[in-house]
Amino acid sequence: MISVEDLHKQFGDHQVLRGITTRVQPQEVVVVIGPSGGGKSTFLRCLNGLERPTSGRIVVVGQEITNPKTNIVNVRKQVGMVFQRFNLFHHLTALDNITIGPRQVLRMPADEAESLARSLLAKVGLSGKENSYPDQLSGGQQQRVAIARALAMRPQVMLFDEPTSALDPEMVGEVLQVMKDLAREGMTMVIVTHEMGFAREVADRVLFMDDGCIVEEGQPDALFAHPQEERTRVFLSKVL
Amino acid sequence: MNAWHTAFVQLPLLLHGLLRTIEFSLVAAVVSVILGLIAALCKLSRFGVLRGISTVYVEIFRGTPLLVQIFYMVFALPSIMPLNAWFGQDLYPIIGVSAALALNEGAYVTEIVRAGILGVDRGQREAAESLGMTGYQTMRHIILPQAFKRMIPPLVNQFAQTIKDTSLVAPVGVVDLMYQGQITVAQTYAAFSIYTVVAALYFIVIFAVSRLANYLERRLQIDQR
Repeated sequence: MISVEDLHKQFGDHQVLRGITTRVQPQEVVVVIGPSGGGKSTFLRCLNGLERPTSGRIVVVGQEITNPKTNIVNVRKQVGMVFQRFNLFHHLTALDNITIGPRQVLRMPADEAESLARSLLAKVGLSGKENSYPDQLSGGQQQRVAIARALAMRPQVMLFDEPTSALDPEMVGEVLQVMKDLAREGMTMVIVTHEMGFAREVADRVLFMDDGCIVEEGQPDALFAHPQEERTRVFLSKVL
Repeated sequence: MNAWHTAFVQLPLLLHGLLRTIEFSLVAAVVSVILGLIAALCKLSRFGVLRGISTVYVEIFRGTPLLVQIFYMVFALPSIMPLNAWFGQDLYPIIGVSAALALNEGAYVTEIVRAGILGVDRGQREAAESLGMTGYQTMRHIILPQAFKRMIPPLVNQFAQTIKDTSLVAPVGVVDLMYQGQITVAQTYAAFSIYTVVAALYFIVIFAVSRLANYLERRLQIDQR
């Protein structure tokens, strides 16, 4: 589903990613953990072309996005993204936030897009909020609308960039629950998070990233219980 | 005859001038918003040529006095091309001053529009792009609607400025409120009362417009909590 080979990313003199190589299988849930500034978000943002890699090769849903001839729009249509700060469109209602992608990008008829949006709002537990504007919703509700917005494109893969980091603690659970449901349905997901309990429960594989490299990866139980690398041990002892 | 009575008798003429002032202001406002939008999009474009053209436009029109621009349009350009013949002796000065006003205001509107677009959070663009929206779709459906909301108060303020600026069409002999004032004073010698009425008429219109700008600004702050 996703294949990354020797991915490098540099901001000026700063090496953010120094040779990332990994694969994500269909229906796999990969959770990326690690200290802040370790390159996790940059890695995720390279996967749908929000950041342009300095070098390396990325193939997502069969399209090589590092090839300049690839139309990035065709990749993004099939890759959903959920942001830390939700990034809902402030001037649109919850319903319109969800329908705008299918309508503008997929040219879906208005009534079809609307019934899709209603069913997605129901799925994330927000029936009745169709006409609310983002500013009238809590953080947890906004993030669930944002997930519904991404799902409306019927993506092959979902990317989550610290989806609960900007939430009040009591709202984290409702967002993680929606993500667990998605994982159970077989959605392919790459998740950057600091929620270790969630990572352990949902991940098929955990990547520990630090200093622009994948330091260690493995099954969650093995990685959390018996980390092989010193850096992983130090990090886990701080966050667990 | 009492000077204030003179001013009162001349009021219909002055109101006719005020009407022309408002017409010039509205034309300049509409055209300048269109110009400003185009120039702002050029200024934010990835293409250096467009950015260059837009920058030169803004700098020239903000860097020279409007009165000079009006004289340039009405007297300088017709001396090198037959604009008066094309548009007619009577019509061309009106077109010329309107163009000068619109181009001048457009340069200021460009900066308002640019600031409005840049004021929209970067995350909005990223979210739109991650849905697969094109640059055009993102601008049209996501960025501009939010930018316009922020731009309304400064645009209305700029409109108040435009109304004041239109008085500079009088020196080239185009009829507006200021010109009617000058003509009326020349005929009646009631300079104090007539110019007081002229100033009062400008003040009423401009005060109303800037009150509107303040009101819209407060509304916007409430909307954004």
